[in-house]
Amino acid sequence: MMSVQNTSDILQQRRAYNESLAAAADTVRAPWFPLTVLAVLLAFPALQFVGNYNYVLHLLLYTACYVVMASGWNILGGFAGYISLGHNVFFAVGGYFAGMIFARYGISTIALAPLAGLAAGALGYLIGLITLRVRGPSFIISSLALVMIFRILFENWDFVGGAAGVSLKANDLPVQWAKLPYYYAFVVMAAFAVWASYRIRHSKFGLGLRAISKDEIKSESAGIDTRFYKVLAFAISAFFVGMAGAVWGEYLTYIRPNIFLVILISVNMVLMCILGGKGTIAGPVIGAILIVAFNEFFVATLGASEINILATGLIMMLALMFFPLGIVGTLAKHRKLPRVLNWD
Amino acid sequence: MAELIQILVLGLALGGVYALMGAGLSLVFGVMRIVNLAHPSLIMAGAYVAYWAFRLLGADPLATLPAAAAILAATGVILYRLVFEREARSAKYSEMTVLLTFALAMVVEGGLGGAFTNTQRVTSPDYATDAFFIGSVFIPKGQLYAGLVSLALIGSLALFLKFSRFGYAIRATTQNREAAELLGVNVNFVGLVSFAIGVGLAGAAGSLVSFVFSFFPAKHWEWIAVLMSLVVLGGMGSILGTVLAAFILSTVAAYVGFFFGATWSTLTFFVALFVVLLVRPQGIFGEKPELA
Repeated sequence: MMSVQNTSDILQQRRAYNESLAAAADTVRAPWFPLTVLAVLLAFPALQFVGNYNYVLHLLLYTACYVVMASGWNILGGFAGYISLGHNVFFAVGGYFAGMIFARYGISTIALAPLAGLAAGALGYLIGLITLRVRGPSFIISSLALVMIFRILFENWDFVGGAAGVSLKANDLPVQWAKLPYYYAFVVMAAFAVWASYRIRHSKFGLGLRAISKDEIKSESAGIDTRFYKVLAFAISAFFVGMAGAVWGEYLTYIRPNIFLVILISVNMVLMCILGGKGTIAGPVIGAILIVAFNEFFVATLGASEINILATGLIMMLALMFFPLGIVGTLAKHRKLPRVLNWD
Repeated sequence: MAELIQILVLGLALGGVYALMGAGLSLVFGVMRIVNLAHPSLIMAGAYVAYWAFRLLGADPLATLPAAAAILAATGVILYRLVFEREARSAKYSEMTVLLTFALAMVVEGGLGGAFTNTQRVTSPDYATDAFFIGSVFIPKGQLYAGLVSLALIGSLALFLKFSRFGYAIRATTQNREAAELLGVNVNFVGLVSFAIGVGLAGAAGSLVSFVFSFFPAKHWEWIAVLMSLVVLGGMGSILGTVLAAFILSTVAAYVGFFFGATWSTLTFFVALFVVLLVRPQGIFGEKPELA
């Protein structure tokens, strides 16, 4: 009886301590900031009443699409530390899954997006069971091989149109409003991805993933089911990337292997997370904004896609060499992270 | 029957070229633990050296091979000094270098693409389109010469590693970096030289590739998975394993291409990579499953 009393005392004290820690953490956070950004984004299309902001809408939508993908990638690459260079496979799977149903039965890809995400997630689970048996360089190589395999498969699969792909019907809204459904779909998905990352990071599952990224063998001996954890992380990250792919296909009005299965897309996901801060919540968002702005700048000023590849590679090298923790990680390390960017 | 022998010959001839393409990669991984994803793009750079020498000076790609190798080896020295030397202290070194070399591959691709455009190129010395005939079986001269040159180069590399004092130091570093350092091997210098040799071999392979395949800067992505499958099947870091894997896989791919069509022949390499990672991650001759 005595000992039980003691244990519950200790538990109570620990709970009180945890609560004080949480309260302290809340004072360095500013939850109003992401919520305000979201509100502004949701209200932004009202500007279409007074002018034509389609280009800005496109950029915001494009950024939101990458926020979904980079946040998804971050769950596997940032939290669990398994770097995948092949996540555009799930972008393609989501795109083709929803795109084909849309082409045949006319069901909007926006409604299909969660289903397409689940399809990509299920595939991710199966692939994860195989490729997550190896780690480090071998895992990265296997993820690259995955892209090559899927590219060949999709280019030779007649049902989905082979290399020529399938064109999808554009919606018949007036040009001023045509982008809106996709815009809202991507903004909502991005908000959901960020919120889900936060919830995962603060769950037992997220803690397990972070333990795996530090030392997998020790986590295993501490009782974490590492295999299940990392395969599940793979599936969840595939879910988000697949969801983004579903809507992206209809937005572009066609699905084709060479818009999904190009290496630059998966590189962008990786680069956004590294530049913004791998394993943080705000990192992928900041990275996505920076990389989209940067790509736009290069395409507008220099035009050539070769220069774009060169510049992307160069930034990635410099970021890896001098800035491996990314913007959020570096600022946090020096205790200079502004409250508005502390989303962890 | 003659057809099957013909395919075997073609597969083996290509295997020689693949062997040289993979050998440098394997050496660099063995000594430095760097999975050099930029290796194929550096082969591409070597191919462009051969191409422009052929185009502007009319020089035979086999004659300019030493020049291409030297230029690329010098590039390797610079890259090592600028990028990889400082990364040796990084905690997640192996993973870090994969990402770094991946980024480097993009830089090389973008640079080559910006300078020379993405047009398909090929050098066409006389022997590239000529062949020997043995009965009804033909052996394309270009692939035969390329295979022989690459075997000669790999052979001399093996002799150098086996019998020279410096080769001894390289092998010691491959086996155990710390122990080699304790015994007085300058592991950093060994790393520099082996990286330069590895990249130099990429330059040499590029000269051979220039008349065996047509090439353009973005093509190196196809080679990455092909070469990785050789290195993984052979056992990361084992040059003999890589050579063997090159012959096995290119022969199998040739047969797959014959029976199922050319599209699926490239798939052979990727599927092989997956199967090896699954069944025997350390490859044929590998001994380090914990790194796999």
